[in-house]
Amino acid sequence: MNNSSFFKAVPALLWQFLFFYIPLLFVVVLSFTDGTTSGFTLKNYALLFDSVYGSIVLRSLILAFLTATLCLLIGYPLAYFIALKKRSLKNVFLFFIILPFWTNLLVLTYAWFFILDRDGLLNSLLMNIGVINEPLALINNFFAIMIVMFYCYLPFMIMPLFSVLEKFDLNLIEASKDLGANQWQTLWNVIIPITMPGIKAGFLLVFVPAFGEFVIPLLVGGDKYMFVGTLISHYFLIGQNKFAGSAFTVLSSCVLFVVVFFVSIFVQKLFPSHREIRETEL
Amino acid sequence: MNFLKKMALPMFVFLVFAFLYLPIIVLIVFSCNKIAFPYRWAGFSLEWYRELLESTEIWHAVKNSLIVALSAVFLSLTMGLTFIFYTARTKYEKVIPFFYGNLVFPEIILAVSLLALFTFFAIPTGLLALIAAHTVLAFGFVVPILAARFQELDYSIIEASLDLGASLNQTFIRIVIPLLLPALVAAGLLVFVISFDDFLLAFFCAGTSAQTLPLYIFALIRTGISPVINALSTLLLVVSSVGVLIFCSLKSKIRIF
Repeated sequence: MNNSSFFKAVPALLWQFLFFYIPLLFVVVLSFTDGTTSGFTLKNYALLFDSVYGSIVLRSLILAFLTATLCLLIGYPLAYFIALKKRSLKNVFLFFIILPFWTNLLVLTYAWFFILDRDGLLNSLLMNIGVINEPLALINNFFAIMIVMFYCYLPFMIMPLFSVLEKFDLNLIEASKDLGANQWQTLWNVIIPITMPGIKAGFLLVFVPAFGEFVIPLLVGGDKYMFVGTLISHYFLIGQNKFAGSAFTVLSSCVLFVVVFFVSIFVQKLFPSHREIRETEL
Repeated sequence: MNFLKKMALPMFVFLVFAFLYLPIIVLIVFSCNKIAFPYRWAGFSLEWYRELLESTEIWHAVKNSLIVALSAVFLSLTMGLTFIFYTARTKYEKVIPFFYGNLVFPEIILAVSLLALFTFFAIPTGLLALIAAHTVLAFGFVVPILAARFQELDYSIIEASLDLGASLNQTFIRIVIPLLLPALVAAGLLVFVISFDDFLLAFFCAGTSAQTLPLYIFALIRTGISPVINALSTLLLVVSSVGVLIFCSLKSKIRIF
């Protein structure tokens, strides 16, 4: 293809720069200004040296980590189960996994109100069978946030896991057994290392958006807990302090990327051989 | 003991599916409930569906959401496809990863960045701004899917077409588009769903004038429980299942994830 046709690729690139890179850069620039003086300032960042902000970022990290871990622990056996099914059955299972993922997130969150609310189904069920006398506080707390987060993010974990497990060669399990490994050894030394690309992709696909989650804590968290997403939206929508908000946005995304970076290095250390195994497999 | 061991995984899977579908079933059941509150079955009624059909606000929001989603699908597919065709397998290939950040960036950061930019340059927020934002979000899915599919194509077909005298544009329209059609349809469906269901970008970029369906649902939920949402969700669920069916049948042909 000749050089002159490259210009046909320009609209997409231009769009991407105008509405993705430039806005992000703009926020970085905003974070170093205060709107009054025209010069460069670190004032916005200085304000962030307060344990309040640290605890908000930490709380979001914990939420994202718990969500991703829970999704992985539940999603992995599920994806494994589906991937080993016959083709026709596999498609049926996949359909039912994807369907909630194609349903409005707000609607799914709302559906949980019916179950978790004070007068909801779970409380009335538990009261009817006599487990509890008083309705439990199931909503507007961290528990509710976790349930709904897990519920909404599970399909994001399953899809990448499924696609690596589907390609997994079952003979390797046989081989591992023949060579004397027990079930756990096979899982830890064979299945998990080979499916590591899917685990990583799934973890990232859940962890990163969960860190910035804003709707679920707002709806079922009862305004009790501040998360990164909630605080950012406060800055930009309610407080209208976009300079401080920008600094917080920049800093929290830096924290996010540093954490993701170190976690992936740690995983690489934990399963150093996965690449070699994959190469020998090919 | 052996039997128990064998049944452990299927039982587990059953429980997870029960967990996934319990809220959805509850949602559907309560859409036909006579009373709005409390959560108790009081008899079958289609009252909420009638209210839904008569609501002008909801259908106005649906219309807005459709406009935004269809525009995002059209823009991201046309731009994404030409972009891939004229860069993949050329020396410009290195620019493709420019689009990979869209997926790994928390959406809220993109949303506030766009809002800050729009307000600074006094660009009015509204449907157009939202279309711009959704198209960027869509690139995150469209570009990797099409790039992967394009790399898998047998390049000799394209070379044959060019050797036989077809121009680059003819090759593009008559060879590449038909070959990429399953990927295009699947990516288009995915983008449509993501845009149609997106709340975050709409919350920040749609402004006060433009109401999309997720914004409307959000407002309804905040004001309190109304079974009209259940009725609406049930209808949406029926529509999505048709979409997922098409998507699943395409997924066996192309690898999306």
